[in-house]
Amino acid sequence: MTALLPKTAPFSTDEIDVLNRLVGRANPLQRSWLSGFLAGVDAANGAPTPQSVAPPRAKEQLTILFGSETGNAETLALKARKAAVKQGFDARVLDMADASLEKIAKTRNLIIIVATWGEGDPPQRAAAFMRGLLADNAPRLEGVRFAVLALGDTAYANFCATGRAVDERFAALGATRFADRVELDLDFAKKAAAWTDDTLAAFAPAEPATPSSTVVHVDFKGGALVEDEDEPAFDADKPLTAEINDIVNLNGTGSSAETVHVEFSTDATGWSYVPGDAIGVIAENDPALVDAVLDSVGLTGAPRLSRLLLTDRDITTLTRPVVDAYARLTGRSDAAALATPERFAAYAADRQIVDLFAEHTETLTADQLIGLLRPLPPRLYSVASSAAAHDSETHLLVSAVRWQSHGRKRNGVASSWIAGRKPGDSVKLFVKPNRHFRLPTDSAQPIIMIGAGTGIAPFRAFIAHRAATGSKGKSWLFFGARNYTSDFLYQLEWQDHLASGALSNIDVAFSRDQPEKIYVQDRLAARADALRGWVSDGATIYVCGDEKTMARDVDKALTQILGEQGLDDVRTAGRYLRDVY
Amino acid sequence: MNNFIPKYDFHDFTVHDFTVHDPMTDKRTKNEKIKDASRQLRGGIAEGLDEVATGAIAEDDQYLVRFHGTYLQDDRDVRGERTKKRLEKAYSFMIRVRIPGGVVTPAQWLALDTIASDYANGTLRLTTRQTFQFHGIIKSNMRRTMQAIDAAVLDTIAACGDVNRNVLATSNPHLSKAHAAALDLARDFSAHLLPRTGAYHEIWLDGEKVRDKSAVVSDDVEPIYGRTYLPRKFKAVVAVPPTNDVDIFAHDLGFIAIVEKGVLVGWNVTVGGGMGMTHGERDTFPRTADVLGFCTHEQAVTVGEHVVTVQRDWGNREVRKHARLKYTIETRGLDTFRAELERRCGFKLEAPRPFKFERTGDSLGWSKGTDGTWHLGLFVENGRIKDRSGHTLRTALREIAAIHTGEMICTANQNVIIANVTAAAKKKIDAILSAHGIAIGTSSGLRRNSMACVALPTCALALAESERFLPDLVTALEDVLDRAGLRDDDIVIRMTGCPNGCARPYLAEIGLVGRTPGKYNLYLGAAFDGSRLNKLVAQDVDKTGIIGVLEPALAAYARERHDGERFGDFLVRTDVVKPTTAGNQFHADVRLRPG
Ligand code: SRM
Ligand SMILES: Cc1cc2nc3c(=O)[nH]c(=O)nc-3n(C[C@H](O)[C@H](O)[C@H](O)COP(=O)(O)OP(=O)(O)OC[C@H]3O[C@@H](n4cnc5c(N)ncnc54)[C@H](O)[C@@H]3O)c2cc1C
Ligand SMILES: Cc1cc2nc3c(=O)[nH]c(=O)nc-3n(C[C@H](O)[C@H](O)[C@H](O)COP(=O)(O)O)c2cc1C
Ligand code: SF4
Repeated sequence: MTALLPKTAPFSTDEIDVLNRLVGRANPLQRSWLSGFLAGVDAANGAPTPQSVAPPRAKEQLTILFGSETGNAETLALKARKAAVKQGFDARVLDMADASLEKIAKTRNLIIIVATWGEGDPPQRAAAFMRGLLADNAPRLEGVRFAVLALGDTAYANFCATGRAVDERFAALGATRFADRVELDLDFAKKAAAWTDDTLAAFAPAEPATPSSTVVHVDFKGGALVEDEDEPAFDADKPLTAEINDIVNLNGTGSSAETVHVEFSTDATGWSYVPGDAIGVIAENDPALVDAVLDSVGLTGAPRLSRLLLTDRDITTLTRPVVDAYARLTGRSDAAALATPERFAAYAADRQIVDLFAEHTETLTADQLIGLLRPLPPRLYSVASSAAAHDSETHLLVSAVRWQSHGRKRNGVASSWIAGRKPGDSVKLFVKPNRHFRLPTDSAQPIIMIGAGTGIAPFRAFIAHRAATGSKGKSWLFFGARNYTSDFLYQLEWQDHLASGALSNIDVAFSRDQPEKIYVQDRLAARADALRGWVSDGATIYVCGDEKTMARDVDKALTQILGEQGLDDVRTAGRYLRDVY
Repeated sequence: MNNFIPKYDFHDFTVHDFTVHDPMTDKRTKNEKIKDASRQLRGGIAEGLDEVATGAIAEDDQYLVRFHGTYLQDDRDVRGERTKKRLEKAYSFMIRVRIPGGVVTPAQWLALDTIASDYANGTLRLTTRQTFQFHGIIKSNMRRTMQAIDAAVLDTIAACGDVNRNVLATSNPHLSKAHAAALDLARDFSAHLLPRTGAYHEIWLDGEKVRDKSAVVSDDVEPIYGRTYLPRKFKAVVAVPPTNDVDIFAHDLGFIAIVEKGVLVGWNVTVGGGMGMTHGERDTFPRTADVLGFCTHEQAVTVGEHVVTVQRDWGNREVRKHARLKYTIETRGLDTFRAELERRCGFKLEAPRPFKFERTGDSLGWSKGTDGTWHLGLFVENGRIKDRSGHTLRTALREIAAIHTGEMICTANQNVIIANVTAAAKKKIDAILSAHGIAIGTSSGLRRNSMACVALPTCALALAESERFLPDLVTALEDVLDRAGLRDDDIVIRMTGCPNGCARPYLAEIGLVGRTPGKYNLYLGAAFDGSRLNKLVAQDVDKTGIIGVLEPALAAYARERHDGERFGDFLVRTDVVKPTTAGNQFHADVRLRPG
C-alpha cells in the first residue's frame, strides 16, 4: 500500500511523512477506526469544520460507467457526474468500451447507465465488456456498491434487457445493490435526473464521515476517462426550427423506394455538427391517424386534444405497457390476454395502437387516452452534409417508411412526415453528436465505406468533407440498393468525386437487377484481396445502414475476409466503426 | 455462337487502300476514324463495361458496339427528372439479334423469351427486318445477356453497324423449293459477309482475353471489309414472287427468285434501294432499288460480295449522309456500277428475267402448305410481344413454343409465322390463343397492314411518337373505314417517328413521318406491291389533320375505285398525287394540302 496522504494534504511535508509512516503500516481496520475516532473527537469538541481550506476529509469516490450506442446513456452519465461533483463526490465517467472488470472490481461506488440495442443486445462498444461480465471466470465483485439505470424503448420486446442483465449479474457476483434499478423508455430525461439525485443521496456518506469514506484511489490509467462536453446549444428540449431549402425524392420513376434528400437552412449561431453525427428530428403525427385514434375511443377531436396527439404523443407504437394499461383501464380480459409474453409479440408485430383500440372498442375520456400514450420520441437521421462543403446547410437522407397491414395503409411517423414537407416548411432539429463515427483525424488515412440504402448518407458527408478540405486519403465506397437505374443515390455526385479523385473506388450491388440477388457483402467478398491490402495500409472501415438486413451480413463477410482475429484487431484499434439502425 | 464454315471461297482482289491517313488532310468522317482506330471493333468497349459508376460507355464505343448488335439508349420519358434527382440519364442497351430469314426453333424462342424477363424490359420486339430486339438491358447485364443469346445458338454480330446487316428472305421456307432456296441464300450470304474480327467473342463471351491490348490489327483479318468496314450500313434481302413481303426495293441489295417451269433458275439482282432521308434536305431521299440483271444460283453470293466491295471502295466516306449505296449509284450511274461489279466478279450478268409481285405484307391466318402441314401467320401489332390484361400474347407464344415442333418465323412486317404445324397441334394452338384473348383474322384490313417503328421512348432519333401512337390513329380511322365500307380492304399504313424510315413509310399507301411531338408529314400514293414510293401530301398535321385529309380520300376511293384497284394506285389515277417514278423524284411536284 503506497502513501495515502497526498502532498497537497493540509500538513507540513515532514508531518505528512510521519503520518504516512504511521498510517501506511496500519491495516484497513486500524485506519478506519482512526478516521472514525478523529471525526468523533472533532464532533465532541464542536470544532468548526474549516471552510475555504482543502477538504477536511477525502471526497467519496464515484465511478459512473456507461454503455451507449447513440449517446443517450453517455449524456446521462455526464449529467450524473455534474450532479455528483456538486454534491462533493470525486466522480469520474467511464465508457464500457474502455473499462476492465478488474478495475471495476476495485471500485467502491458505481453507477451504471446502459442502453439496450439490436434485439436485446448491448451497444456495440459495450459488447466485449458484457461478454466478460457474463463469463464464468468473471471476477467477484464483493465490496462494489452499484446502481443501474437502464435505457430502452418499450417498443422493443426485450425492453432494457442489457440493463437488467447487468443489474442481476453484479448482484450475483457479490456486489451490493445500493439503489433499485430503473428502466426508462425514450422519454427518460426527467426520470433519469430524479433517479440520479436519489441514487447519489444513497451513495453520499452519512455525516459524520462513515468508515466508508476512506480514500481509495483506483488507478484508471489505460481506461480513458470520458471528458465533459459543454452543453449543446440545441437538444430535444430546445430544438432549432429550421426551414427547408430543398427537398427531392432521389429515386427515379418506377422505383420501389422513396428516399428523400432534404436540405435545411441552418445558419443559426450555435448550430454545429460534423460528418458522422446524427440529427434529431421532432416530427408530427398524421392528422388523419389522430382522428382515427380519437374516433376509435369515441372521442371527437377538441382542438387542444387533437393538437396534443398530433405533436406530443406517440399514437402508433403498440407497446406492452400500452396494451396492459388499456386492459386495466377498460377491464377487458381479451385485451389483457394480448399483453402476455406469448401473445404480445405476434399481436403487435404489424399492428399499431389504433388497431388495439378499434379491435377492442371502448370509450375513453381525453385524460385516460393521454395517460395511455407516451411522448412522441424524436427520430435520428445521419447527417448527409458537411459544413465545409455545404456551408450553412444541413442535409438528411430519409427513406419514407410505408407498408400495409390489417387493411390499413401505414406510414412511418417521422419519415413520411418529412417526405411530405415542401420547401419553405420548417422542422424542429437538434444535433446528436456521434463521437464514435468520425473521419480519421489524419486526413491522409484511407477509408472504406460500406452502406446500403440510406446508409450512404454519412458517406456523402465524409466525401464532400474530404473534397472540400482537399484531403489526400484514399477512399472506397461500397453501395447497395435495389435497381441501378432508379436507386443509385447521389450517382452524379459520386461520378464527380471519382473524376476529382475525392473518391478513389466505388463498387455497387443492386439486388434486383438480375435473377439472383447481389448485395454489398458479395461485392466485398469479390474484392477480398484489395480490401486486405487497404486494411493493412491502415484503412478505417465504416458500416452504415440497416442492422438486420445489411450490417450483420457485412460483418460476416468482413470476418471471412480479415478473419476473426483480424477484424477484432481492427475493431480494438478503433478502425471498424458502425452506425447501424 | 453458330460457328459456320464459309461455303464460298473468297475471291482474289485487293482490299481497298490501307494507307495511313495524314490527320491534316484526312477528310473522312469521325465514324471512319473511329473504325480505323478501333483495332477491329474493340475500342474501349470491354473497359467501359466494367465501369460501374455510369450506365453508359464512352462516346466512340457507343458507335462501335453497334457492330456487335447493340445500341446505347436512354429512357426519354424520364429525361426531365433525372438531373434534379442526381441521377444520370436512364441508360440502357437495345440488343438486336441476327436471324437470317427470321427462322428460329421453338427452343430458341423460349430462350429469347426468358432473356426478355431476366434482363430486358419484359417484352420482345419483332422488327421490320425479321428479327428480335430487346430493350432496357442495363450495362451490368450486357455480358450475361450476350452469353444467354450465344447459349441459344444465336448471335448479334453485325445486326447493326456499317456492315451487311441481317439478311431477309420471303417468309416461310415450307411454301416451296424456291422459298427454301431463298432462306439458304439469306443464310449463306449473311454468314459469308460476317465480320471476321475476334472482338465479339473477346468482349462478350470469353471475357478476359480482351484485356490483351496487342490484339492484331492486320489488314487480312477482314478479307471483305478491310480495316474500316463499309461507309454505311448495308442491307440485303431475298424475295420470292409474287410476295414482296421483304419490300425488296427498299434495300441496298436484293435477290428476286426466278422460277421457270417450277424450277428455280436463278436470281434477278437489285441494287440501290433505301428509305432514309433528312427533313428539309432535298439531296437526301428514299430510293427504290434498280433491277441490275440476272445471275445463277451459284453466282449469287459472289455477286453480292462484290456489290459490297464496290460500295466499300466507291461509297462516300466523307459525307455520311450520302454514304449509302443508293447515293453511290446515283452519282456513278447504274451502268458504271454494273461494269465494275462484273469486272470484279469475272463474269457478266444476264438481262433481268421477268417477274411479278402482287403484294407486300404477310398473309395472315391459317394456311395449308402443299405437304399438308399448317402455317399460322399471326398479326403482332407493331411487333411488340408483351402481355397486357385480356391479351397475353407473350405468354401465349411461350406456351405455343413449348408444344410446337416446327419453326417460328419473324416476318419483315413485324409479324410471326408459326410454321409447319400438324393438324393435331393446330387445335392445341388455337386453344392456347383463345385462352389468352388472341383472335385470328379479326383486325381491320388497315390494321393488319399497319407498321410503326419503335420511336419513343427508346429511340434517340425520334421526333414524335410512333409505336405508341399508330394503334390509336388506326382505331380512329377504322370509324372512317366503317362509314366508307372499307373495313376489310387491305390498305397499307406505316408510321415512323422520324424521316429515317425504319418502318419503310415511303413505300406505304399511307405514310406518316414524325416531325415534332404530335405532328407528322403525310405521304400518299405508293404502290401496294412495293414498287412505287409515295409523295408528300400534307405537312405537320396532327391526328385530326391526318383524318381530315384521309376521310374524303377514302370515301372517294370507296365510291370511285375500279374493281381490284388499290388505294395508292387510285390516288395516282385520280391525280390526288403525282406518281414518284424514281427516288430522285421523291421531292418533285409536291402539291401540299392544308392539314
Ligand atoms: C427496330 C427497327 C424499327 C422497327 O420498329 O422494327 C429500327 C430501329 C432503329 N433504327 Fe432503323 N430500324 C429498323 C429498320 C430500318 C429500316 C427498314 C429496313 O431496313 O427494311 C430502315 C430503312 C431502310 C434503310 O436502311 O434505308 C431503317 C433506317 C434507319 C436509319 C436511316 C438510314 C439511312 O440510310 O438514312 C437510321 C439512322 C441511321 O442509320 O443513322 C436507323 C436507326 C435506327 C435506330 C437504331 C436509332 C438509332 O440509330 O439510334 C432505331 C432503334 C430504335 C429502338 O429503340 O429500337 N434506321 N431502319 C428496325 C430494325 C431492323 C433490324 O432488325 O435490323
Ligand atoms: C443513429 C441512427 C441513424 C439513422 N439514420 C437514418 C437515416 O440517415 N435515414 C433514414 O431514413 N433513417 C435513419 N434512421 C432510422 C430513423 O431514425 C427512423 O427509425 C426511421 O425513419 C423510421 O421512423 P418513422 O418515424 O418514419 O417510422 P415509425 O413510425 O417509427 O415506424 C417504424 C416502425 O414501424 C414498424 N414497421 C416498419 N415497417 C414495417 C412493415 N413492413 N411491417 C410491419 N411493421 C413495420 C416497425 O416496428 C418500425 O420500427 C436512423 C436511426 C438511428 C438510430
Ligand atoms: C436499432 C435499435 C434497436 C433497439 N433495440 C432495443 C431493444 O431491443 N430493447 C430496448 O429496450 N431498447 C432498444 N432500443 C432503444 C434504445 O435502447 C434507446 O434508443 C436508448 O435511448 C439508446 O441509448 P443510447 O443513445 O445510449 O444508445 C433500440 C434502438 C434502436 C435504434
Ligand atoms: S424511324 Fe426514326 S424514330 Fe423510328 S425507330 Fe427509326 S430512327 Fe427511331
